[in-house]
Amino acid sequence: MSKELKNITNIVMNKIHEGKIKMHSRMYFVVGSLLTFVGLVASVLSSIFLIGLIRFSLRSHGPMGEYRMDQLLSSFPWWIAILAVLALIIGIWLLRQYDFSYKIDFKIVLIVFVAVVMVSGWIIDMTGLNDVWFSRGPMPRVMRQYFQENNIQYSPRLNRS
Amino acid sequence: MNDNLLSDEEIVEKVRSVDQDLFAKIIDRYQDKLLRYSNNLVYNEDHASHIVQDSFIKAFVNLNSFDTKKKFSSWIYRIVHNEAMNMIKKSKKEVPILDDFDFSSEEDVLKDFEQKEIIIKVTKCLNEIPLLYSEPLSLYYLDEKSYEDISDILRIPMGTVATRINRAKVLIKNICQKN
Repeated sequence: MSKELKNITNIVMNKIHEGKIKMHSRMYFVVGSLLTFVGLVASVLSSIFLIGLIRFSLRSHGPMGEYRMDQLLSSFPWWIAILAVLALIIGIWLLRQYDFSYKIDFKIVLIVFVAVVMVSGWIIDMTGLNDVWFSRGPMPRVMRQYFQENNIQYSPRLNRS
Repeated sequence: MNDNLLSDEEIVEKVRSVDQDLFAKIIDRYQDKLLRYSNNLVYNEDHASHIVQDSFIKAFVNLNSFDTKKKFSSWIYRIVHNEAMNMIKKSKKEVPILDDFDFSSEEDVLKDFEQKEIIIKVTKCLNEIPLLYSEPLSLYYLDEKSYEDISDILRIPMGTVATRINRAKVLIKNICQKN
């Protein structure tokens, strides 16, 4: 064995003995995995909500496209968009941090994420789940506040195209 | 039970739960192979040594994330690969990927290419072909990894591993014969 190689063993083992490097506990990885999962789910949910909101806004201002776009941009809840992007970035960063043994292609994660958001957004819109959320689900206060703040007249049935 | 008879995964289990000193056994088992693998990626012995050292440290720190149902060797090679890629990115010395190589009729060219001849040429000319091809070739012939292991280490499909190795053989043959 060369001196260089002997050194690697010594250096690493000395660092372990001196406590300079410590093994992360199993809990560290469990928490990391949970945070990753929660981050990705939060990102998907906020993105789906965002899509629903965009569609609501576009419908609720009638056929004047230019006005609708101006209204949408001025009243757009950017914090949700920022939250969605942040959650996604943190989720992928966490996946990378904790990813040592599993084969994960981050391009596929991103494609699946976008696909899930688009399909879920479409399904929610088509099935009228947005209306259910608005009237009965956990979102009515948020949605009503958003529409009130932006002077949007909302009627679930009228807004269904 | 003699520790030398234990599998890598069994040693890892013991390091995690009983005796951290056993990690030295893991280092002894892999340091030669990893140093050669790393050197074949960065072509610099000092850098290779640092990469292997950092990889062992990273492996130890994250040992609890390793799934003992999987191969430890693929896991540690993957860590070295990541460390080496980080170093290459930092030093920007990666060999550019050459797109203008002619790979036509590679099957015919390779028919008479014997295993031993390839190993000699691989060792000699490895640093002259793009990293994209030299890495799977090095893993296959010098580290004697299976296509499945290489697929795990590089995180590419097995079909891509096969294609890159075949192309690497053509490149090695073309380049080495010119020299």
